[in-house]
Amino acid sequence: MSSIASVSESRSRSTRLPLILISITVVLSLLYAIQHYAGGPIRLAVVSRIHDVVLSPDNSLIAAGASNGNVYVWDTQRGWRRSILAQHRRSVIGVAFTPDSDTLISAARNGEIRFWDVQAGEIKQTIQTNTQLNDISLAGDGSVLAVVGEDANVHVFDVASGQQIQTLGPNPNPALAVTVNAKGTRVAADNGMEIQIWDIASGSLVQTLTNYCEDETKTTEVACEKADEDWLGHQKQITALAFSPDGQLLASGSADTTIIFWSLEEGKVKWPSIGHWAGVTAMVFNPDGQTMLSGGDDNKIRTWRVTGGKSTAIFEGHLSAVNGVAFGWAPEMILSGGADGTVRAWETANQKVTFIAWTKKGLQPIWGQVLRVWMLLSGILGIVSLLGLRRMRPWGHLLALCLYVLGPIVVLGLPILEVLIYPLSFVEQLSIAWPLIVLLAWYGLIVGTLMRQPVSVSYEAAESSSLSEQLMASQRTRRLRSAIFIAAVWFLIMVVLYSVLRRFNLDVAFMRHFFSFIMGGAWMTLRISALSIALAVILALLGALGRLSKNPVANGISGFYISLIRGTPLLVQIYIWYLGLPRVNIVLPAQVAGTLALGVNYGAYMTEIFRAGIQAIGKGQYEAAEALGMSPIQLYRRIVLPQAFRIVIPPIGNQFIAMMKDSSLVSVMSIWELSYRAQKIGRQNFRSLETFMVAAAFYWVLTVIFQFLQGQLEEYMARSERR
Amino acid sequence: MTKPIIKVRQLHKYFGPLHVIRGVDLDVPPGEVVVIIGPSGAGKSTFLRCLNFLEEPSAGTIEIDELKIDAQEPLRRQRHHIRMLRQKAGMVFQQFNLFPHMTALENVIEAPLIVKGLSQKEATANGEKWLEWVGLSDKRDEYPSRLSGGQQQRVAIARALAMEPTIMLFDEPTSALDPELIAEVVEVMERLASEGMTMVVVTHEIHFARDVSDRVILMADGGWAEIAPPEKLFTNPDEERTRQFLSHIL
Repeated sequence: MSSIASVSESRSRSTRLPLILISITVVLSLLYAIQHYAGGPIRLAVVSRIHDVVLSPDNSLIAAGASNGNVYVWDTQRGWRRSILAQHRRSVIGVAFTPDSDTLISAARNGEIRFWDVQAGEIKQTIQTNTQLNDISLAGDGSVLAVVGEDANVHVFDVASGQQIQTLGPNPNPALAVTVNAKGTRVAADNGMEIQIWDIASGSLVQTLTNYCEDETKTTEVACEKADEDWLGHQKQITALAFSPDGQLLASGSADTTIIFWSLEEGKVKWPSIGHWAGVTAMVFNPDGQTMLSGGDDNKIRTWRVTGGKSTAIFEGHLSAVNGVAFGWAPEMILSGGADGTVRAWETANQKVTFIAWTKKGLQPIWGQVLRVWMLLSGILGIVSLLGLRRMRPWGHLLALCLYVLGPIVVLGLPILEVLIYPLSFVEQLSIAWPLIVLLAWYGLIVGTLMRQPVSVSYEAAESSSLSEQLMASQRTRRLRSAIFIAAVWFLIMVVLYSVLRRFNLDVAFMRHFFSFIMGGAWMTLRISALSIALAVILALLGALGRLSKNPVANGISGFYISLIRGTPLLVQIYIWYLGLPRVNIVLPAQVAGTLALGVNYGAYMTEIFRAGIQAIGKGQYEAAEALGMSPIQLYRRIVLPQAFRIVIPPIGNQFIAMMKDSSLVSVMSIWELSYRAQKIGRQNFRSLETFMVAAAFYWVLTVIFQFLQGQLEEYMARSERR
Repeated sequence: MTKPIIKVRQLHKYFGPLHVIRGVDLDVPPGEVVVIIGPSGAGKSTFLRCLNFLEEPSAGTIEIDELKIDAQEPLRRQRHHIRMLRQKAGMVFQQFNLFPHMTALENVIEAPLIVKGLSQKEATANGEKWLEWVGLSDKRDEYPSRLSGGQQQRVAIARALAMEPTIMLFDEPTSALDPELIAEVVEVMERLASEGMTMVVVTHEIHFARDVSDRVILMADGGWAEIAPPEKLFTNPDEERTRQFLSHIL
């Protein structure tokens, strides 16, 4: 009885401290939540992604519509003072200035359109449409406003009166993009992959721009491809539209990454063009009609020469998709707004950002919401798991440990690293990230106290009978605890690695674009590696037997083979196979030559491994087999080699991993395997680092998988060793 | 006297300049148990290993169950005969030498399967019979690493017996065993002797020599120092060398 009493006492003492710490966490997070919902100062709020950006015609104001329902306005004349105009209840999807710069129009997702008196900062008029809005467009002369939404209609309003003058549709598909021409006479909206153009005055459908075959007798895509002609038009949803100022051209951007300039006179594609690595999100023509701007999901802005449809420059810097673009207050300036919550002004001459405006005071990282939920959940779960220890045995403790080790790294560590990669000074970064760092330290304290707890003996004592059971349970728990920490260390290193890679400023959209193409070489890589290793194993086995043989011919051949192959570089051997054999009129397919080169090379190295494996088999095994009357062949096949194989599997697995990566050397034979594809695409697009990163990641994943399989095989082979 | 089943004539063995076995003769009639004792380095194990050509004799003839091999002729040319001879002579080693990658049963049936060419079914039935004979039916699926030394040696005996040899050679079968495990192996050997197996045993196990053997040979300096029935050799030996050896071990 006394021992049970002392055990329970030790439990209460050992759980008290973490319980207090976790309780404080819960109280803090509750206070924090109350403060948030009471409308107090919020330090960690959701960043407002910017959906549209526009410059007033008199160049005095920049307006940006954000996902938190605000319209942010910066004054370009008076020291970039910023004001917040609107409090829409849903995210703002479009903003526009009337030509006199006095009125700002903002439209929100929930169908609300507001007209603002910019000087007074007051609402002049509100229109409520009964649909979720996707896009708005104001005519160049400011006469009419067109909006499209989920109801698949195009609504046209008279700006002066605020009255709806036309409802066009309904169309088969809701439009994502709409544009009105400069005079306010025509409106164009997408219908999936085609574009419909209406006359506003009459409300009649004037023109439909759709996919068609270059050879116009072919009417279906299949027939067109059979005739080897181009199937013109967009292959995916249209996401952006813009009329040229003279009304002769219509530009359309699509999720298929292309931009098409349509000739309205002919109703045909004039200049199809590719630039972005991901979907096009926004387009705007320069008033002179010579150039155009586009923004994309690839975080980039491109400038275009309209005639010919060629991209002239790329602007890189946004950390997320670019949602709005506008021409700036000077000919050499452009503006952009993106999902990273920034509005940026760029100098076209040197493609550099001249200023960044954040949508709120300071940077507002997006993890606020996540963090709140995390704090509450982890605190509650922590208390539950600690209180429930009696029933949950060591698992309660481990659960708490998991929560407090892995959780903070994900929830706090990632945002801290994300802040570090923002282009800000260290002090600024610190001013944003300090609450997170304090919290991380707090969780560190909790983990520290949890770690010092005696784990299992006290938890198990009440129920298990024998000391040995208790000790085994404690050992299990300790093993699990160390596994959790090893996982955490791995994860932390990966996070750090990730943040370093982010600093490389890799073109993620580009990588995504060519990912599947590069991966197309994976099968080839795997096949060459697998065939080569099979050849190498056979050669190595023969080589090792030859090397151990007393027969001078066999011994001499294998000795020479090892000496020659190990004495020359693999790359040189590959060239000899590739260039030498054709001179004696043996022309092998490149893949066969590559497999032979790799297999012969690795066979030589593996010969020594096999020899060592065979020699590791004791003399007693030979004698026992001989005494049973086995012939040498039976002896090797049944007794020696099976045992030798088990010994050589780890080093052979090692060789296989090495070979998978050395198989990249056969790319010199123009075999379209992984590395060769990465190299090709990288060089063509001046993005070699990106493509090689993709290849490296694949090799790594492959190696990890193989290592796992090898471990399984080794465990199986070691079944006779287990005691 | 019946025709001897083992007949050794003028057996010599050199290791380089070292003359290890100096022309010994031996006749063993069927069913006899011969124990060879002697000081270490006397050539006991070498003699035994020469009997099934694990060591190649330098000179002399060995005849087992009417299969005669003359060491004077090139042994490479007689290797088929040597394999036949080995099938007639089961061998048990000091270090057991079980195949570690096979279970007890697999160890036992391996040679009948691939050397004798028995079917899997026959070999398994036969193997299970011999495992039962050595008292290890319950260990048939265990790997050697999970067996004790005594159990391993019994599996090794079953493995040799599964080939149905006419004679059995034991090379210090109990020397690598812990004292309390010796008994179980000796018990199996006694049972084998009582069933009439012809056995040549090199051992330090004096009790086995005294109780089970028909003849004891004291080997010293590569030759027979004395051959006598155990009751005579251990109590009233003729030779001075024997007395000297016995004074060390008794």
